[in-house]
Amino acid sequence: MKNDKKPSPLKTPMKDLKPEDVKSLERPLGTSDRPYPMWGSQRIEHNGRADLEQVLSVIADDTYPMKVFSERPYKEVIAMAYCDMPTPSMLPLFFDGLERRKPDSTNRTQMMIGDPGAGKSFLGALQGRLRSKEPVEVLDCGGKNMRELLFEMVLDFGAGDALPKSIDKRLQAGTLEPMSMALLKALPSEVVSIEDGTVKSIDWNGLKAINNDKVEAAFETLKKVSKIEGLDNAGGNALGMNSQYGPLIRKFMAGEEIVLDEYNKSREGTDDNLQTVWQFCIGELKECTVENPLKNKDATAGPSEFTFRREDMKPGFFVTLTGNKKEDGVTTRSLNKSVYSRLSPQTLPDPDVIDWQHRICQMMVGLPVSTLYTTFKEQADKDPDQFGEWLLWLRRTKAEVEGGKVPELQETLLQNWKNVVNSSEKLARFYDKWQKMTDAEKITSNGNPDLVEEVDDEYSKKEGIDFRKIKQHLEEAIPIRPRMLKEDAPRALDLKAWEKVPSLGEPVVENSSLNFGTRLTEFLERMVYEKSGAVGKPKLYNKLQKAMQEFALRDITLQEAARSKQRSVEEDLNISAFNDRDLTKQAKMARNVFCDFLRQSNPEIKATNDEIVTPKTFVDALTAISKAETAKSNELFVANRDPESLYAGHPLVSAIIKDAATYVAAKKEIDFGLNDLVHHDDFLASLAMPTVGAKNLTAVWDQNLRPLMTNRQEAANANTPPAAAAGAGTPGPVMDLDESLYIAENRSDKKIATTSLQVLWTDEQGERPVSIHIVRNETRNKTLVVSEKAPSKLLSAFKEAGVIHVDRNDANAVTKVEQALAEITRGLTPSVKERLVDAFKYRNDADSSPALKGKEPKLTELLVDGNVEMMYPKYVIKNDKKKAAGM
Amino acid sequence: MTQDATNRQQPVPSELLEQVASAVAQQKAMDGGPTFLPHGCRLFRIASGWESNMIRRDKGVTSCETLLEFEAALRNPDVKVVFLTADAIITDADIEKICQRNGVTKTLFKEVKEA
Repeated sequence: MKNDKKPSPLKTPMKDLKPEDVKSLERPLGTSDRPYPMWGSQRIEHNGRADLEQVLSVIADDTYPMKVFSERPYKEVIAMAYCDMPTPSMLPLFFDGLERRKPDSTNRTQMMIGDPGAGKSFLGALQGRLRSKEPVEVLDCGGKNMRELLFEMVLDFGAGDALPKSIDKRLQAGTLEPMSMALLKALPSEVVSIEDGTVKSIDWNGLKAINNDKVEAAFETLKKVSKIEGLDNAGGNALGMNSQYGPLIRKFMAGEEIVLDEYNKSREGTDDNLQTVWQFCIGELKECTVENPLKNKDATAGPSEFTFRREDMKPGFFVTLTGNKKEDGVTTRSLNKSVYSRLSPQTLPDPDVIDWQHRICQMMVGLPVSTLYTTFKEQADKDPDQFGEWLLWLRRTKAEVEGGKVPELQETLLQNWKNVVNSSEKLARFYDKWQKMTDAEKITSNGNPDLVEEVDDEYSKKEGIDFRKIKQHLEEAIPIRPRMLKEDAPRALDLKAWEKVPSLGEPVVENSSLNFGTRLTEFLERMVYEKSGAVGKPKLYNKLQKAMQEFALRDITLQEAARSKQRSVEEDLNISAFNDRDLTKQAKMARNVFCDFLRQSNPEIKATNDEIVTPKTFVDALTAISKAETAKSNELFVANRDPESLYAGHPLVSAIIKDAATYVAAKKEIDFGLNDLVHHDDFLASLAMPTVGAKNLTAVWDQNLRPLMTNRQEAANANTPPAAAAGAGTPGPVMDLDESLYIAENRSDKKIATTSLQVLWTDEQGERPVSIHIVRNETRNKTLVVSEKAPSKLLSAFKEAGVIHVDRNDANAVTKVEQALAEITRGLTPSVKERLVDAFKYRNDADSSPALKGKEPKLTELLVDGNVEMMYPKYVIKNDKKKAAGM
Repeated sequence: MTQDATNRQQPVPSELLEQVASAVAQQKAMDGGPTFLPHGCRLFRIASGWESNMIRRDKGVTSCETLLEFEAALRNPDVKVVFLTADAIITDADIEKICQRNGVTKTLFKEVKEA
């Protein structure tokens, strides 16, 4: 059958190409409305003097833009070019690579020399990937004979690779003869993987193209295995050796790209007869012929020579050569002068902070947000939402190209792209410092001469920081893993019935972005210690710790004064889904929480979410709540389980705080009863909903104790609670200095606060009021709530809301509260923590609990003791007006 | 046909259901975070179970058990997502090596047996 399919213009010889073919490949990059970032030297004026400086700018030229000559659709090219963009300092090389790939270019090579892990082979392959959907062959030249680039001796397994497939089948089934197994183990180590003493896999494609000096031994081995396994008689299991065109000629013929990786680690002296080929590839020669030295060797068939001709060259042919810097190790050799002269290697600069940040962003979210932000800062600041949408479009389009979805973590981070820019900058500066501290070669010149004794070449090679290390760190931080408890945390061991599988509690699933910042920075903190302090490098450890503080990696590292000015990396990268600015998405989450809560509290309800409450109703409710001014009026919104009003479209109802302190001050009697109290679960459910919870947490604070304290000044005596005593009898100025009072009122500049509420609780003992204690750190948006058992369906949502709920009746309540308090008060001074206890006592009477009477209990003990009574309870009352949110 | 019959919801085609299930399973596997591989390939591990089955059965996903199959999948421009079965005779080092020599960006899922 005749094949009418026209070959791609990339694979058509130049002599047969028509102008329209070339035109069909053109994909412009860097036009006026789609500028492309570019790095380069420019004269910058300072006080009337112009100096050459490296700057990040753009190419934005409609007449002479950069061009990718590609078979891919424009949409794919543009998404890949922006998402996989080389680091800023490598952009000039990218630009140069595009120029050399123009169909009329005579130089079809690009050689790059740089540090391991700098992204050289990635850049070479990226250019190929931008042009075609076919993979770019990356050939590891390390230890190889470069003559084999032209002609190679290969194993021939016949059509369909029948022999390898048969052996693989037996390998997988575990039915290979022991003798065959032993023989296969002796194949070159680079093509056999051995696990637990047995052959796990054989890289047949690698074996086919094994070095010429190993091919005969491999051939003999396989012949024996074939015989032992009885495969030598089977039809199609042919095994032979043949000489064929090497990869360079094959790529030339096919019009494809190849990357010759680690070219200067190839075997010395083996590239001598490539010199004329390089002359051809760089455009110095129009034609060159190479002879096959393997022809007729051992009677193998194969080509005798090959002639490279300019007219046969196809636009798709290109050779990228990469090399490591000479100091990389003994296997790296200096290329001879003629190679340097012909291939003109370009040396990659050492990465700068902007490069670290670029790569961190790419690994974290899949595209270089930082570089794009720096390039288009004005527009991004002006319309951050639209800029964010554009970033998401790029990322989603790239995911389409790769066939996958965008991971949820990346979506969330991109929706909060400013956090990514802020945190990646700090991380980049930290990594840049870490890299300099662990670079033995330059340690005296880069400001770290004090580390000379601790950082030697060996340590540098092993623990020096490069882009690969960042990759490893992120790989560790992204998944949610079990966390080690604090060393002094109490542990409970059930010594009975170990034969049974333990019964696990209901899983409380956590969004991967919720604590991503904590996981990453904790891991870095651990790495810093394990790679320095723990291995006898105290000076390095101290310097790294200081760098962590300087660049605000963790909240704890922020100094008090600096706290208000900058956010830590941890804080920036801990992103709750509840923070989504889109109210529709918030309403969707709130509705899910509400409906799950409703079904759990009344199992007879089988209705779906849509049947319980429509999405629009929830959007309306949240819109109304978000607009309400509730902080001063102490108005709250709580879950509504009353069927009548719920089905009338009111999932949330209004509640109000009535403070016994104001009744006392006004000498009034309490004018409401137990039935008026909001149920404990309805209030807790409100804290588990976006917008609603946040709003309620701003409306639970008051300054109602002040009048009482002024009135009581005469009565102040030694029996008053310590904190109250500080204020009582000394109105005005002293009260204003009482940090604990500020904390009780949520007015402390330390942004820590505590208060207590009374709600209705029902159990087998009947109905009664119970306390809900709240400790909140506003800066870190973390809230500890200690009360009765919460419905389990709220627990996941609590996490998103930054609420740590502890059931005071839980056997491990003390431990859980201790951990939560440690988290909430992290970085605060001990005196502030002491004031927190006093603040709690403004509302609660420690002596009311028989277990605590006369003691000086810790806050943990006070919070979990259900017998601690409130002196001036703040009751959460159903709003008299029965006002429903959204009405 | 009555109005009721016209309004009655058509059952969701099983093929569509499988696609949705595969998408959910892929997203869940991604939550575990990737192993970054050369040339931008990302490998996600997924425990053996219904989710891995869903990905394997997805028509848009190519399932591989040997290195030859894996490399062929990487070299096939029509294949975007590759699934490596739990029984595959492919080591992690093999995956890294094969991705390194084939400069292409694809999404990989590797089924793992839970201990």
